[in-house]
Amino acid sequence: MQMRRVLTRMANSNADRYERDTIEILKRLSRRPIEPAPDNELMADLGFDSLQVLELVGELEDHFNIAVPLNSLTHIRTVRQIVAEVRTLASAESGTPS
Amino acid sequence: MSRRVTIGDALVGAAASPFGLRFIEHDGRMLHVPYATLLEDACAVAGSLLERGLTKGDRVALVIPEVSGFVHAFFGIVAAGLVPVPLCPPAQAGDIATFAKQSQHIIEASRAAAVITTSDVAALLGDTSQAGDAGALYRHAPTLLLLDDLRTGSPIDAPVPLSLESTALLQFTSGSTALPKGVVLTHGNIAANVEGILGASGLDAREGDVAVSWLPLYHDMGLIGMLLSSLYAPADAVLMSPVLFLKRPSSWLDAIATFGGTVSFAPNFAYELCRRRLKSSQVESLDLSRWRVAGCGAEPIRPDTLQQFADYFAPAGFRSSSFLPSYGLAEHSLAVTFAHGGLHVDVVDAERLVRDSRAVPVVNGSPAVRVVRCGRGFPGHALRIVDENFNDLPERHVGQIIASGPSVMQGYYEQPEATAATLRDGWLLTGDLGYMADGSLYVCGRTKDLIIRQGRKYYPPDIESSLADLQGVALSGVVVFAVNHVEEPDQVVAVLETRAGGRAEEIEEAVRRRIRETAGLEIDRVVLTPPGTIPRTTSGKVRRSETRDRLEAGTLVR
Repeated sequence: MQMRRVLTRMANSNADRYERDTIEILKRLSRRPIEPAPDNELMADLGFDSLQVLELVGELEDHFNIAVPLNSLTHIRTVRQIVAEVRTLASAESGTPS
Repeated sequence: MSRRVTIGDALVGAAASPFGLRFIEHDGRMLHVPYATLLEDACAVAGSLLERGLTKGDRVALVIPEVSGFVHAFFGIVAAGLVPVPLCPPAQAGDIATFAKQSQHIIEASRAAAVITTSDVAALLGDTSQAGDAGALYRHAPTLLLLDDLRTGSPIDAPVPLSLESTALLQFTSGSTALPKGVVLTHGNIAANVEGILGASGLDAREGDVAVSWLPLYHDMGLIGMLLSSLYAPADAVLMSPVLFLKRPSSWLDAIATFGGTVSFAPNFAYELCRRRLKSSQVESLDLSRWRVAGCGAEPIRPDTLQQFADYFAPAGFRSSSFLPSYGLAEHSLAVTFAHGGLHVDVVDAERLVRDSRAVPVVNGSPAVRVVRCGRGFPGHALRIVDENFNDLPERHVGQIIASGPSVMQGYYEQPEATAATLRDGWLLTGDLGYMADGSLYVCGRTKDLIIRQGRKYYPPDIESSLADLQGVALSGVVVFAVNHVEEPDQVVAVLETRAGGRAEEIEEAVRRRIRETAGLEIDRVVLTPPGTIPRTTSGKVRRSETRDRLEAGTLVR
């Protein structure tokens, strides 16, 4: 029981970490001094051009030790989608919270 | 030895050599394929294509994001005696709707008999909800083929024999207008250009050369400059995914260091990106000492960028004498001139350049413009600088660069008017401005309405049409153009005729947003003007260059 609680808490804090770290990276790369919100679109709201989107993907891959598939690049538009993608890939990659 | 052979014959020649290609995909996966294996694979794909009823001269579009997949499909098409039409894959096209529309336009304009792609991309190509009227795709491209299904066909014995006069490639320079222009190149055109590139006036190719490239293979510089030149040499080449480079610029220099790269080309921005993104600790662990040709082209060359790159990477053994500035365009197969002897900068009087179109070396500190030397043309090719009436101009007078010789395209596919406007009496009107000095070419601007950013070309009419239906904005006219500077990247300006009222900021933001979404381009300036401001022709078409001139002169809005 105790074990389970610990694991759940770890999983939750890890989930938060994906969002927090992703937003940190977005802030660092964005040309605009705004706080990225989940519904913000990368290009439209955060001012990313196509080159910066790939720079972002590189940073996320290095930071979370994941590999983002090519076809994800054409679908991801919002901050929420990026965080979800990172979470899915990172959990699949490690199996355990890192 | 003459290298004037078809691509198929060059592949057969290379297959007898010990050399080959190494692919590095976007996720770092590597695959080594000797030319001998590539020939076998190409003959298998070719067999499958011919079994499906495609015949000599048919155009086959290919849209394949993976490097190795692209190369296999490309040589399969060529070995079957068909004409490849390379398309930009979705991850680099902007959004999915733009990708679908661009692909559709090119597939229609080339009247492709088939499209070779992957299952992921096939889903996007057929995504009618995204592409609007993408149903049209199926009227024009009856056969959608998956590369994986083509690999296992019964192979043909050898590439289908072709003459040097037959069409080798349709290279589309833009896909987003309804009438994209497909540059028609013959095997003879490509062979002649590659001969120039490999020869003494070019790279001076030698034993042991290893090419390393991240350049997109659906563009001339990657396809002809790196892949086909390596094939014709033949020499080893490392072909990386552009996506990998853009995600991690260090991967390019890592590959050069790891595989002992001696030749690598890139646009100006790539050198800038590497200097900005690599840490000095990463520089120290690199060995770039074998890199003897660091080519630079495809966009205006900034001397500062290259000099800073050379300084920054000197600890890795990089030599600034390796720089090889170059000038070229798809209509000339690829390369027009190469400059040997590293980076040479001509410092000319800024005012006289603008006022008199003269490139006069600067004296005692007047405002100066620095122009990079782009060197000389290839044997058997010719180059002139002319005025509006096609009279030759003397040295250091700026005019249009025109070129002739065996590398010049046959024309734009099924576009006689555009062809007639670009090819005149055997001369290719490049639309670029430059001057000659001491036998070398210096490029300093464009007459064409073309925007170049990060080596990518954007066409103003495409961007203008994407703004046409901006929600809640009543537009009576829109003009998008670039203001070129010799030493700086193009400044992109949009002029819109609309009654903004108090909503100027909101409209500006909507314009920037739309251009970012559809073209992936960040523009520099949005100008809102009252209706009736933009100069027009008698038939009501906007006059783009006049709008630009008036804006620059401060007389657009009176």
